[in-house]
Amino acid sequence: MPTIIPGSALGLNGAVPPSERIVMGGLGIGGRGTHVLRWMLPEKDVQFVAVCDAKRASREAVKRVIDEHYGNQDCKTYRDMRQFLAERTDIDALLIATGDRWHALAAIMAMRAGKDVYSEKPSSMTIAEGRAVVETARRYGRVYQTGTQRLSEANFVFCIEMARQGRLGRVHTAYAHIAPWDAAEMRHDWLPAEPEPPQEEVDWDQWLGPCPWRPYNSAYTRGGWRGHYDFHTSCIGEWGAHTFAQAQAGLGMSDTAAVEYHYVQNDSGDGMETRFANGTRMILSRGDKHWHGSCGMRFDGTEGWVACADGYHLPEASSPTLLADLQKIVADYIARTGRPMSHVRDFFDCVKSRRLTVANPSVMHYSMSTVHAANICMWLKRDLKYDPVKEEFPGDPEANRFRSRAMRAPWTI
Amino acid sequence: MNPLSYLLLGATALALAACKSPTTKASAGSAQETRCLTALRSSADLKQKADACRELARWGSAAAVPTLVGLLGDAQLSHMARYALETIPDPAVDRALREAVPTLRGRQRAGVLTSLGVRRDARAVPMLAGYLNDADADVASAAARALGDIGTPAAARALETALPRAAGGQRLAICEGLFRCAERLTAASRGRDALRLYDQLQSLADAPHQVRAGALRGAILGRGHDGLALLEQAICGPDWVLADAAARTAIEMTAANVTRTLTQALDRLAADRRVLVLQVLGCRRDVRALPTLLAAARQGDVASRLAAVRALAQLQSPAAAAPVAELIQDPERPVAEAARECLAALPGEQADAVVLRMLASTDKATRLAALDQVARRRMKQALPVLDQAADSPDPQVRAAALKQLGAFGGEAELARLLNRLDRATASEDISALTDALSTLCPRLAKPDLCADQLVARLATAGPAQQAALLHVLVSVGGAKALAAVRTAAQSPNPPLRTAAVGALTDWATADAAPELLALASKADDPDIKLRCLRRYLRWAADTDVPARQRLDMCKQAASLVERVEEKKLLLAALGGINQPEAVRQIAPFVDDAATREEACVAAVNVTEKFTGGRNPVPLPAALRPVLEKIAGATANADLARRARALLEKKP
Repeated sequence: MPTIIPGSALGLNGAVPPSERIVMGGLGIGGRGTHVLRWMLPEKDVQFVAVCDAKRASREAVKRVIDEHYGNQDCKTYRDMRQFLAERTDIDALLIATGDRWHALAAIMAMRAGKDVYSEKPSSMTIAEGRAVVETARRYGRVYQTGTQRLSEANFVFCIEMARQGRLGRVHTAYAHIAPWDAAEMRHDWLPAEPEPPQEEVDWDQWLGPCPWRPYNSAYTRGGWRGHYDFHTSCIGEWGAHTFAQAQAGLGMSDTAAVEYHYVQNDSGDGMETRFANGTRMILSRGDKHWHGSCGMRFDGTEGWVACADGYHLPEASSPTLLADLQKIVADYIARTGRPMSHVRDFFDCVKSRRLTVANPSVMHYSMSTVHAANICMWLKRDLKYDPVKEEFPGDPEANRFRSRAMRAPWTI
Repeated sequence: MNPLSYLLLGATALALAACKSPTTKASAGSAQETRCLTALRSSADLKQKADACRELARWGSAAAVPTLVGLLGDAQLSHMARYALETIPDPAVDRALREAVPTLRGRQRAGVLTSLGVRRDARAVPMLAGYLNDADADVASAAARALGDIGTPAAARALETALPRAAGGQRLAICEGLFRCAERLTAASRGRDALRLYDQLQSLADAPHQVRAGALRGAILGRGHDGLALLEQAICGPDWVLADAAARTAIEMTAANVTRTLTQALDRLAADRRVLVLQVLGCRRDVRALPTLLAAARQGDVASRLAAVRALAQLQSPAAAAPVAELIQDPERPVAEAARECLAALPGEQADAVVLRMLASTDKATRLAALDQVARRRMKQALPVLDQAADSPDPQVRAAALKQLGAFGGEAELARLLNRLDRATASEDISALTDALSTLCPRLAKPDLCADQLVARLATAGPAQQAALLHVLVSVGGAKALAAVRTAAQSPNPPLRTAAVGALTDWATADAAPELLALASKADDPDIKLRCLRRYLRWAADTDVPARQRLDMCKQAASLVERVEEKKLLLAALGGINQPEAVRQIAPFVDDAATREEACVAAVNVTEKFTGGRNPVPLPAALRPVLEKIAGATANADLARRARALLEKKP
């Protein structure tokens, strides 16, 4: 094992030159986070040194994974996030894989503390949170990537490039997958109160973080937070956090959000038509009407269509001839953008080069703005118009009041 | 559910039903607000009051402010009161929040200070300034961030005054506040004031790296063209943090001469720093960096050369094509490979022309590299040149040219490749032509046209060519191609017949199954019979074929299977058909010791599936003896138990 030279030891304090290792910490790493961790651990220029989690069982489980990988017992554990960020000035970057409620705030706190951030999706719970992530990353020059890994997978990149390069003719419609479980309408109930565990076991106050207080129930901490308004972004955000970013990339709309949202009378938003300022449409789609697999997307143009989802050997297309250049298109994308077909590698490369990642704060903020606006459309049960420049619903004070949520003190963006 | 909950739910329903019309929406909101306020003033429990606050975040007006403000000191409801208050668009909220602050402590006070910042209440500045040195760290940092959100000159002055005395976390919070102020001042066209803040942050002794980085960024961007000196100083200076920040800032900058500043600095930098700047030049995509990038690509350490070549690819300038082409033969393999990728990604005719010149080279390595580029660039205009290269005396060049003709040729190339096949004598040429045609035909997506052209040559072709043509027909597929293969399989010419059988066993769809069965039944050659039977049985096991058809196929094959191996293939096929008829066909094999266990497994699996699942079929009486026999005959105790369970299963 080569000697690790953390940034701080070199007097770099967070700046990682291309020849050095990236010292990493983990925050709130559960099941999904462990998958990402296992993608990151084999990267030779990365060293995980510490994890922080409000749950003792989780932080110890992740410590075991890390220690097992390195063959030592060196990974340190923390319960308190503020202590973790304040003490570990040697850490260059964080993997954040908490529940949705913490993603934006934890990323902001980490970037304020000088860390680069790889955060699981969704990047925000509200439009205001997304804007704050953008501003914080820009303010401190931090590198940030959301874990929307399909933006770095060949089949998805191919479809996006096909749409962007005009190989489908004029692309007039994109379809974006929304999750097949949960509804757009969210739960507001509280699960029955259970005795709160000792703080070292589960720090319930920290687990709740910026969200409204509610009594402890262990089901929340085992993934049962999904579907609750305070903690989740609904079936639209569950997969839309991925697929809207994918669809908007193909439509060339990564720097904006949809401006029109047409309410559909069902419980999921399936079939909702959103429209961008140039008239192109993005339609929310549940099930396998347009693909077979999860997190699917499809682009329809005047000269053909392409679609793909997880598990595809090759994308689907209106004609096999559209797939003929698949390898070239992906290879050209890699050469032109310098981005690898590995989402975590793109992050690490950007930590060293300091350039923007493929799922950078701005790209994620705009696609998540579309997610949030679609959710608000479903909650208000009526059509909406949104101004992505002013980041407001013009002349619609009722909708505007959903753009932010007050955070529980002492947490603040 | 208690009465109050019904009240709230009813109010919500009423409000939602009315929300399409602005007038009714307003009145519904008013009704909802009244009901929520009633709940808050009642003895309702915590959950109900929290829900009322949440509703007021949507419906609340100035009328709700007194009640909500009254909850700010309540440890359990303070947050939810702010949750409602923050979104109410009425100045009464700001006044009420300000007045509440002195009455609060700890988290409640910190929360209200934050809300004043969210609402950008400029009148709160003097009060917020007073809390910047508060002993409660949460309160002090909330005040600093709130002042930043308000971002007026007065807010900035308060933060500047507090900065020298601040330490630790509060120092960071004040820096954050100053950054926010600077951003707001910039947005308000008060760039000079913003610049003063950035400079103050830059000069801060022992500042954390992220503050130094952020301050430098602001100072450079805020100065516009005059910021270039600062940029250069940081890029060339000893501090990695600042160099890093300057690099990131340079990507954002649109000012003229940024590229010149970076390229002029390049020669003065150490290897790591050179890589950083070369990457920045790539990200900026300014073609004025081309000469510098080309020079850096040609010489220096490998890391810098690699970064330069990759940056050239990002630049997307066709003018880079010729120099990059020269690097394809570079002795440093990573550089050569990067150059190949780069050239392939450069757009335009100028780059195509470079590749065509490479194709005309007499150097074998250059020609091979060019052939690779032709394919990567999908250069259709190179097809005539590829055709010439296919006549090269060098077999490697010939094979590469043929491969590319197959990869993106059209109908014209189909005829040319077939002519070449007619003339070919060397086995490696026939093999390369077969591969090229097998790639080309499916791409054309015209199976009838391809089949016609291939079949027309079949009768007059030599034996090796016939085998090749039959192989290509497999890639074509379709009824015409299959008919031709079927005819060839009846030929008295043994080599042609053997090749046709090979084509039938390789056929990609089950359309070939009847012919396979016929050959399995009637062919003279026992080896052909066996090959066809085995392939036929694999089709019978293919779940893409409808179950009814597979059952028929199994029935027809049953009389042909003689060896244990084929019997087991038949059982595998039957084991995948979840119908009672499959079990009937399996039953005879239970009596055969060589296939008993496989038959038992298949029968039980099938029976479990059609008697279970969403649409269960009752166990037919005729199958009970089969399962009883299995329960007694199998050596597998678990299987016997499963068979008995099926017998005992109630319909």
